[in-house]
Amino acid sequence: MKKQLYLLVVISILITSCGPTSKLTKSQAYPEIYKQKPLAVLIMPPINRSTAVEAKEYFHTTLNVPIANAGYYVIPPFLSMEILKRESAYDSELFIDRPSLEIFRDIFGADIALFTIISKWDKSSVASNVKVEIEYIAKSTLTNEVLYSRKGEVIYNTSMSVGNNFLLNLVASALNTAATKYVDVAKACNSYTLSDLPAGKYAPKYGVDQQEMSGLKNFRVRLPK
Amino acid sequence: MKKYIFLTVLSFILSSCGTSKELYSWSMYQKASYNYLKKADEKSTELILDEYKKVISTQKGIRKAVPPGIYADYGFLLIQKGNLTEGVENLKKEIQFYPESKIFIDRILKLIEK
Repeated sequence: MKKQLYLLVVISILITSCGPTSKLTKSQAYPEIYKQKPLAVLIMPPINRSTAVEAKEYFHTTLNVPIANAGYYVIPPFLSMEILKRESAYDSELFIDRPSLEIFRDIFGADIALFTIISKWDKSSVASNVKVEIEYIAKSTLTNEVLYSRKGEVIYNTSMSVGNNFLLNLVASALNTAATKYVDVAKACNSYTLSDLPAGKYAPKYGVDQQEMSGLKNFRVRLPK
Repeated sequence: MKKYIFLTVLSFILSSCGTSKELYSWSMYQKASYNYLKKADEKSTELILDEYKKVISTQKGIRKAVPPGIYADYGFLLIQKGNLTEGVENLKKEIQFYPESKIFIDRILKLIEK
């Protein structure tokens, strides 16, 4: 009896813990982040190689929240968008392979330029699934090294979409329209992927999470969990 | 026996994922910003201005601080709407709370002065 109960405790821990992790700790997977201690992150306009034009904006407007929540300073997204457009730098393809990103350090004070490449955004006509393939690449504006990168294949079931707080939805009905329905898909991809970012300066775990496990560099996942 | 049930429940609570409190609270900001980027009409501008105000006035996150970028983007939108004084005030608040924004925001303030 006792043994069974112990087993139950162990199983319950196993099935409720966060997704699969890699065999690397965060300091092994992202050593340069601990070394360079980047603070300010510039969100680059997503590179959209999928067939769905609209995917770019879903991601562009939802990237700042998880990065700020991880403790980093995110350069004001709308203001930086405006300046990138003015400087004819709105196309991230022009910068992703460039040998130096110092220009973003000079203009925005950015330590990191965060690139995203969307390679798939397919809405299934049968099930209410959206299949997304996206890669996140954080490059240092100081050394041009890749400090963080993960690539994911996400299947998101929109019928299981969270946020079914009736009262909240009632108040916010102007924002919960069909047009914003897919914002949840991008939000889920971003927060799932970026959840293993080492904590930034404003987070309580800053500088003490080296031994936590990092996520898999390449992963497949069904969301929401 | 009760002890084990308690342990099981406790282990569920401790190990569950994504339920912990976040650094900042954002209200409906993300949907409002998508909506604004997509439409940029009067209605969507009003909605995002409301969200900025909510995020600034009610912070339920761990830090109890306004998240990065919010003061600056709010100020930027106010300036676009012609409310220069309040807009500049908010841009300066961004520097006050996030000194690392100074390089960029000072550049914007100079652009406005011109």
